[in-house]
Amino acid sequence: MMRGNLFPSVLVFFPILTAFISYASGRKNKKVRDLIVQAAGITECLLFLAAAVFFEETQEMFFTWEGFAGLGMHLELDGFRVLYGLIAAFMWMMTALFSGEYFTHYRNRNRYYFFYLLTLGATVGVFLSSDLYTTFLFFELMSFTSYVWVAQDESKESLRAAATYLAVAVIGGLVMLMGLFLLYRTVGTLDMASLYEVCAACPDKRTVWAAGICLLFGFGAKAGAFPLHIWLPKAHPVAPAPASALLSGILTKSGIFGILVVSCNILCHNANWGVLILTLGVITMIAGAVLALLSVDLKRTLACSSMSQIGFILVGTGMLCILNGGGNGVLAAEIAARGTLLHMMNHSLIKLVLFMAAGVVFMNLHKLDLNEIRGFGRKKPLLHLAFLSGVLGIAGMPLFNGYISKTLLHESIIAAQELTLRAPISNWVGAAFPFGYGLNAFARFVTSPQMLSVIEWLFLISGGLTAAYMLKLYICLFWEKNKNAEEQARFDGMKRYMCPKSTFAVIGSAVLLPLLGLFPYLVTDKIGVFGESILHVVVDHERVSYFAAASLKGGLISLTIGFLVYFCIVRTFLMREEKESGEQMYVNRLPAWFDLENGVYRPLLLRVFPAVLGFICRIFDTLADGVLILFRKTVFRESPIPHEREEGTVFTDLAGSVCDLVHRALNRTVRRKHPKIRQHSYRHVIALKREEFRENNILIARSLSFGLLLFCAGFLFTVIYLLFRT
Amino acid sequence: MSTWLLPILFPIAAGIMVLALPGRAFAFGRLGGERKRLCIISGGLLVVTALLVLNALLATTAKDAPWIAFFLTRKLPIQFGFDGVGRIFAVMISIVMLLAGFYSFSYMKHEQHEKRYYGFFLVLYGMLNGLCFADNLMTFYLFYELMTITSMPLVLHMQTKEAVLAGLKYLFYSFCGAYMVLFGLFSLGRYCLSNTLTFGAGGILDLSIVEGHETLLLVTAFLMILGFSVKAGMFPLHAWLTKAHPAAPAPISAVLSGIVVKAGVFGIIRVVYYLFGTSFLAGTWVQYLWLALSMITIVMGSMLAYLEKGLKKRLAYSTISQVSYILFGLALMRQQAFTGAILHTVYHAFMKAALFLAAGAIIYQTGKKNVSELTGIGKQMPIVMWCYTIASLGLIGIPPASGFISKWHLALGALDFPIYPIGFAGVAALLVSALLTAGYLLPVTLRGFFAGSDFDYGALKQKEPSKFMTIPLFVLAAATMLLGMFPNGLISYVEKIAAAVLR
Repeated sequence: MMRGNLFPSVLVFFPILTAFISYASGRKNKKVRDLIVQAAGITECLLFLAAAVFFEETQEMFFTWEGFAGLGMHLELDGFRVLYGLIAAFMWMMTALFSGEYFTHYRNRNRYYFFYLLTLGATVGVFLSSDLYTTFLFFELMSFTSYVWVAQDESKESLRAAATYLAVAVIGGLVMLMGLFLLYRTVGTLDMASLYEVCAACPDKRTVWAAGICLLFGFGAKAGAFPLHIWLPKAHPVAPAPASALLSGILTKSGIFGILVVSCNILCHNANWGVLILTLGVITMIAGAVLALLSVDLKRTLACSSMSQIGFILVGTGMLCILNGGGNGVLAAEIAARGTLLHMMNHSLIKLVLFMAAGVVFMNLHKLDLNEIRGFGRKKPLLHLAFLSGVLGIAGMPLFNGYISKTLLHESIIAAQELTLRAPISNWVGAAFPFGYGLNAFARFVTSPQMLSVIEWLFLISGGLTAAYMLKLYICLFWEKNKNAEEQARFDGMKRYMCPKSTFAVIGSAVLLPLLGLFPYLVTDKIGVFGESILHVVVDHERVSYFAAASLKGGLISLTIGFLVYFCIVRTFLMREEKESGEQMYVNRLPAWFDLENGVYRPLLLRVFPAVLGFICRIFDTLADGVLILFRKTVFRESPIPHEREEGTVFTDLAGSVCDLVHRALNRTVRRKHPKIRQHSYRHVIALKREEFRENNILIARSLSFGLLLFCAGFLFTVIYLLFRT
Repeated sequence: MSTWLLPILFPIAAGIMVLALPGRAFAFGRLGGERKRLCIISGGLLVVTALLVLNALLATTAKDAPWIAFFLTRKLPIQFGFDGVGRIFAVMISIVMLLAGFYSFSYMKHEQHEKRYYGFFLVLYGMLNGLCFADNLMTFYLFYELMTITSMPLVLHMQTKEAVLAGLKYLFYSFCGAYMVLFGLFSLGRYCLSNTLTFGAGGILDLSIVEGHETLLLVTAFLMILGFSVKAGMFPLHAWLTKAHPAAPAPISAVLSGIVVKAGVFGIIRVVYYLFGTSFLAGTWVQYLWLALSMITIVMGSMLAYLEKGLKKRLAYSTISQVSYILFGLALMRQQAFTGAILHTVYHAFMKAALFLAAGAIIYQTGKKNVSELTGIGKQMPIVMWCYTIASLGLIGIPPASGFISKWHLALGALDFPIYPIGFAGVAALLVSALLTAGYLLPVTLRGFFAGSDFDYGALKQKEPSKFMTIPLFVLAAATMLLGMFPNGLISYVEKIAAAVLR
């Protein structure tokens, strides 16, 4: 039965119900359907806004539906959940407004909108869930409903990408389920609020860690963390732009949300766990940035960029654990917590703007290749401004929002350096991998002060690469001219490239980025408090002076690296002069075989695994029947009854079979090249010979001369007998 | 007395009547032709039988004393009772039989010998009810054998060479299993508390006599488990399923997979939990061997289903795998795993029936039997494919569809197993199998609804089948969802049984 405040459940079920209404109305009238979808997005956003406005910072609101799907559905509203629900609803509202124009020429729009609203409900459900069972319920729903987005246009590539997406989601979901089994069996609860205490007190650290790793696998797959990032670069370019914005802006964040819950509540800020997350984060960050730099497809670049930014967030999460687990760094942990949450939020908003801008390009040109869309943005000030704010935001330009969160993350790395200078991680209480000493040595290595400064530099370089690939997109779209002058003229002539609603969506989202960057204290201080309940971080309202020289230095180093990379690498190594026109063209220097999905996962899962296991299973499958057949062929063989033998006897058959066998064997070996072909088998021949012999015998036995011969023989014997007798 | 007998004897008598009467008998009156009359009459008889079962459910309680019909030998009675497990099976059987029966009215239109079909269908229904009411092993065995024999004409109904061979294979495998059970029937009697072989929750072995004869009894137990597992499709004696299911008409495939296969499960429950008792079997080689065989079957069935091209054969392999989930749960002999197993028995009956009925609707409307031909099928038959999709999600175990709930209990029960690696391996097998299940069920949905941008929508025709087909499908799909969303009533009912049999 339902208990508690109904408001959270309204937030979740309102979009789900509207999905059905929109589907029903869409069969009658498409205009009405579009309006319903947009109204649903706006209403949801307003509901969350109301929650945010009327909500005290520390207030919490619960909803429980007992017995739903066994363990029940538990929803909760607190600071963080309101904030992230608001961001989700805001993104849905903006993309709903944008979708109207974008989908004008698409088939199956009704289907799209139906799953679009279902996913909204599921995503809100994930963020509002207060126990992991409910999280899992909505997480799976979200994975399946968002499949439809990726597959929407049903082209070969989208179906393939969607299959990858679904496979990653299903495998991730199953591994996550394994984690839930282990966790529930070990600690007996999945309630997030009580997990911290019971997990901290649980003596069976091994199982808790195993559960944590399983959950990390599942959530990490959705977040796009290395090595499960494969769906991101494939799914985004083929999905419709509003869907890409949501996939990378908010669906990946639901994975991050899960990782945060696992890190802070189940593993209780274990420092070594932090090392694990940090390592994954650094790899994801660098790999995503490099892939983005190499890509020549607008949306693929943005997708790889998402991967890289997820890496940044994971670095923050790792630092949060390391700092908090270290005991001495509790205060600094708050910085990491704020940086992580803020970067999540910033990245959502930035990617919303960038993907919608990319959507504008695609909606007008139906192309995404940088060489073909080059120069599209010229003489389009609104698009230009929106895209520019996205670029500056994500590149970490001071006065834009990305700078704030990146500065916080950078500060947290520096804090960790100071901390580990004082005491190495191995001395920390309870900080040990329960799985072995090799891993502990690895943790010591990663958190050594030298390695941490390497990580700091990797962080700054990734920031630089971010600036570089965004600069590549920006210059290509808005400054360079298309190689084809006619095409450029056509681009310049496009004055009505987006309708008022779309314009509102793009500009309305873009305005937020500098606003958040200009007034950092308004948001960041609150967000620390918001995170308190879910991250279990002590909040001390320590202020970071974002615009002090030390903070600016990190941002400026990144930007300098960015410019260097752009001019030294992008404009030289990643471009090639075309022979006929002499134009500089963007080239993809990434070799085609360098693809984790096509090179490793697909062959392994679709070929090797079914072939090996399938072979074994076939043997098992035919075992019973095989034994029966074997008996029938051998012991219970229908043997011919003797008097029914067509020709010959047992002995001729035997001799003939042997001869046949030898004959066949010879043909296969010695006379391989010129095999002798016999018209009849030896069995037949020998049987004939015997018959001939027998007939001859009969003839002989019946003849007179044979009688005489026998008489002579008998006579001879008699004579000899008589002779020897005497 | 009549409460017990009517649900058994009425459908049998009705079925024999349908079989015996000439076809002309159904052509009286003005309403429709011979076929329509036949459908109306058989439908009516099915409903009456279901009502009789309902009456038996309401009029008796699990604590009622068993009713002895007569003595087969001097000591061995034929007796009836109605306990918790029997009730669950009776409800499940009635629902699936009714829905499959109504589905047949449309599906069997193109087939010959409909009279024979409905006749044996009714007789089978009676035998299945007898199975639920059976209160001792003798009665159970009687109806079990009769069920095998009366379901065979349904399996080979098509009368193609393939169908007849499949029917014979079904018969031989079943008899092979039944003889192993018969061995148990002979050798078990003298070790039990009463000589009547009456089922008792938690086992009825007389431990004072058993002493010194453990090996004999363990071998007996294993043979009986193996014997019943022939019906339940456990490795190594599962091969009849993949022949019988594709050859039988779709509603019969649904009944085979949903019900007849479960009769084997039911037999194993009776033997292990009501005759031997888990205190005797837990921790013996019988349990470990059984666990191993069920785990092998779970993965094997899924893997072969994944490699299989024909839709119905794929579903048959899927049944092999899914029923072994149940057997795995039973073999663990833990309360939560037992709960999961019973839940999965019920859920799987509905889900797999839905899948077979959907496959049948596709075959009936388009004649397509291979998975690769089904591109765009979702556009042609949206209702059927939606039901198929929901049932598939349930079978994979995506919450909140019902398969997830049973899997949750099975897995937690497995992790509860005293020997941790075995439980862990079992959960791993469940998850690998779930992944493969997604791999063999979802492509049909995906290719059906996402036909590809080069798909020719112009040539598309609406091919939604008649209400007789869509309504049973819809009911089963709805049951899949609702039983998953609100499972607690069923769970607490099963948990009570689990607590009784696993003291």
